[in-house]
Amino acid sequence: MASSVLSSPTVYRSVRALVVALLSGALVAGFLGQIPQLDILEQSARNLYFHVPMWFALMMGTVISAYHSFRYLQSGDRLRDIRAREAAWLALLFGLLGIVTGMVWARFTWYVGSGKWWNFDPKQSMAAVLLLIYGGYFVLRDSVEDPDTRGRVAAVYNLFAVVTMPFLLYILPRQLPSLHPGGEGSPAFTQTDLAPAMRWVFYPSVLGFLGLFWVLYTQRVRLSWIRKRLRREPEL
Amino acid sequence: MDWLAGAWAVFRNDLRIELRTRYALNALLLFALGALLLILFAVGPQPIPTRVQSAFLWMVILFAAAVGLGRSFVAEERQGTALLLRLNTRPSMVFAGKLLFNLVLVGSLGGVSTGALLLLLDVSVARPGLLATALGMGVLGLAVATTLLGALVARAARRGALLPVLLLPLLTPLLVSSVSATQKAIQGLPWTEAQDELLTLVGFVGATLSAATLLFDYVWAD
Amino acid sequence: MTLHPLPASAAAPSLRPQQARPDTAAAYDSTWTEESPAQSPQGLERVMLDDGKIYVVLAVVLIIWIGVVTMLFRTDRRIDALERRLDQDIPEDPA
Repeated sequence: MASSVLSSPTVYRSVRALVVALLSGALVAGFLGQIPQLDILEQSARNLYFHVPMWFALMMGTVISAYHSFRYLQSGDRLRDIRAREAAWLALLFGLLGIVTGMVWARFTWYVGSGKWWNFDPKQSMAAVLLLIYGGYFVLRDSVEDPDTRGRVAAVYNLFAVVTMPFLLYILPRQLPSLHPGGEGSPAFTQTDLAPAMRWVFYPSVLGFLGLFWVLYTQRVRLSWIRKRLRREPEL
Repeated sequence: MDWLAGAWAVFRNDLRIELRTRYALNALLLFALGALLLILFAVGPQPIPTRVQSAFLWMVILFAAAVGLGRSFVAEERQGTALLLRLNTRPSMVFAGKLLFNLVLVGSLGGVSTGALLLLLDVSVARPGLLATALGMGVLGLAVATTLLGALVARAARRGALLPVLLLPLLTPLLVSSVSATQKAIQGLPWTEAQDELLTLVGFVGATLSAATLLFDYVWAD
Repeated sequence: MTLHPLPASAAAPSLRPQQARPDTAAAYDSTWTEESPAQSPQGLERVMLDDGKIYVVLAVVLIIWIGVVTMLFRTDRRIDALERRLDQDIPEDPA
């Protein structure tokens, strides 16, 4: 058995350095760069660089988690189960951050004066449901004793949940009125939603947060794997 | 033909056990009727908007199904008949049989709840066809999800409120579309108005049914 | 229009028509346009709306930062637990 789940430390270190560089740059450019002046949003349009990448990280988490659940069902390799679990954990974290930052942003821009924090914007509600689904994933994991059954049951639930997610995140929000872009047919931004000057900060920021996700994920997988090996359960 | 016979045998067996005691069906229907009555008492005598009417209906169906369904797999695990089933039948037969059985349960649940709500609130449905379609699709999706998740829950050691916790968030798309379609049926809007909801329901049922069929093997296998 | 504070007399909780949420985008349009609140904003709102709402961005960045730091601390806790387990295991291990 390999002593580390990390196949290439060099890649890990380069990604880590890149993440630090990209996120530092995104912070500086995000606060100091030029942005178009808009009513309502004013300077808070800069939140685009920080709020939206949370959702990219969440989506990355769901995809990675589902992929490893699928591979676990095929192979029964315990490492796949650990990877699926840690990716789901981080998806939960980034989803929570996305919801809270979205609440703060909307509270002081579109809903200013109303004093409301929660507005049942479809994307917001559906993201909350997504977090409930991952909450259920962890409750299910905790309710099964045998590690092999737990892995299989959790993987099946994860894959079944992933099948319903497109409805939750793309089909339903489009049928309901929403604050978010993408209501009229395109899944994310159209060309006009994003000013050219902002792209040069937005895309690196997204890349930086995705990298941050990967670094945190790799750390947690390595730790879980060490813990599992220390338990000295009989190997399959 | 062999496969059909196997699935039918699983279904027949479940139905026979159910008819002997009528435990699941009676519990389901009483739960649904009780919940519906209590909601209406709590709301009091006042006109309820159609959106709220359809929301009540679907919440009652969903919660009744979440509380009362998924028992059959638990019963198999407890009585040890699961092993017998595993030896004698292929997983897909068991899935089809159990799905059919759940479909009968949820179907009666949906029918009775709808009838009770319409009677209690004295609602006249302008488009019964649309209502029946929405109800049918919703019931089918509900049955598929409860069958797969019921099998999952049966494998868990600590069950408690596990099935509702897993089921309710997953069925959010189904709930939103069904409520909207039901509202439109009560209001008497033309079919084309409810096109989005019906397409979403068809897509949702199709996606969950194919996923559940593929995934059931892994839950069932030992 | 729907999201602005109702006058106290109109705030009857029983049946607010906007609870039956409309399914058309047009019904929501009015909520996208900001209306300056009647009285001058108080407390938290006054701070957040200052300087072109730049403090909203600060709050968002801080929330994300707190999330990442929480993650860092949890990872540390996990390392601690592993170290303790190693300490327990080594005396038993002849090697």
